[in-house]
Amino acid sequence: MRLGEPARMQAAINITPLVDVVLVLLIIFMVMAPQMRKGPDVNLPNTTKPNSQGDERGRILVSIDEAGGLWINDQPVAAEHFDETLRAAVGAETNPKIVIRGDAKLNFREVREVMVAIEQTGFRGVGLIAKRAGAEGK
Amino acid sequence: MQFNSNDSGSSLQSEINITPLVDVVLVLLIIFMVVVPLLMEGYDVDIPRASADTSAQVAESQLILSIGAAACPILTPPAGEGIPKDCQVTLADQKIPVAELPTRVAEILVRRPAEQRALFLAVDDRLNYEGVLRIIDLAKSGVEDLKIEFVAAN
Repeated sequence: MRLGEPARMQAAINITPLVDVVLVLLIIFMVMAPQMRKGPDVNLPNTTKPNSQGDERGRILVSIDEAGGLWINDQPVAAEHFDETLRAAVGAETNPKIVIRGDAKLNFREVREVMVAIEQTGFRGVGLIAKRAGAEGK
Repeated sequence: MQFNSNDSGSSLQSEINITPLVDVVLVLLIIFMVVVPLLMEGYDVDIPRASADTSAQVAESQLILSIGAAACPILTPPAGEGIPKDCQVTLADQKIPVAELPTRVAEILVRRPAEQRALFLAVDDRLNYEGVLRIIDLAKSGVEDLKIEFVAAN
C-alpha cells in the first residue's frame, strides 16, 4: 500500500496550471484581437459583401485616419515623404499588395489623392478595405 | 490507512476530466492566433495612371459609371445600411436610380467575355468614401467577377 500510492500520485500530471495559463492566453488573444491590426484606429466603411483580401504576406497597409492623416503599416507618414516611405515598405517584398484602410468619414477626394500617390510609385491595383455590415456588435 | 483509501476513492469521483477541455481550448487558441492577422476584406480596384492620356484610354466599349454630388448627395456617411434611395447615378450616359444598378450592369456585361467585364468609375470628389464603397458593392452584386477601375478626375 505504501509503495503503491505514491507511485500512482506521481504518474498523474497536474494540468490545472496548464489550463489556467492557456485560458489566460486565450482571453488575452480574444481581447487583443481587434487591436492587433497594424496602424491607427480607423472606422472602416460598412458594406454588404466585401471580398477577402488574401493573406498577410506581402500586404502593405496604407491607412487614412479620420483627419486625413496617412499611415504606412503602423507608422504615421507625412504626405511629402509618402512616396519614399512606401517604396521602403515595399522593399524586398516579392509579391506586394497594397491595401487602403480609409475612414468612413473621409471624402472621396482624400482617398483618390492617396491612390494617385500610390500609382506614382508603380502600383496600379489596390484593395479598399471595408467591414462586413453587422460583423461587429452582433 | 483506511482513511487514506477512503480519501483516494472520493477524490477519484470528484475529479473532472479536463483533458477534452484543454484540447478544445488549445485548438481555439491556435485558430485565433492563425486567423487574426488574416482577417481583412475589401474591394480590389485599379487606379488611373496619372501620367497617361485618359481621353485615349476611354474606348466606346467601356462601361462608365458616373456618380455626381448633385444627383447622388452622399456627403456624409450614410446611416444604416445601403444607399439613400434618392441617389441617381449615370451608367453609360443614362441616368438611373441607384437601386437599378446591379441589374443594369449585369444586363450590359453578361454577354461580354470575362476579361472585359470592367466598370469604369468617375466619382465626384465631394462624395463620402463609405457611400462610394457601397455603390461599388452594389455594382459588384450584379456581376460576380466585375473589375473596378477608377477614371482620372477631369
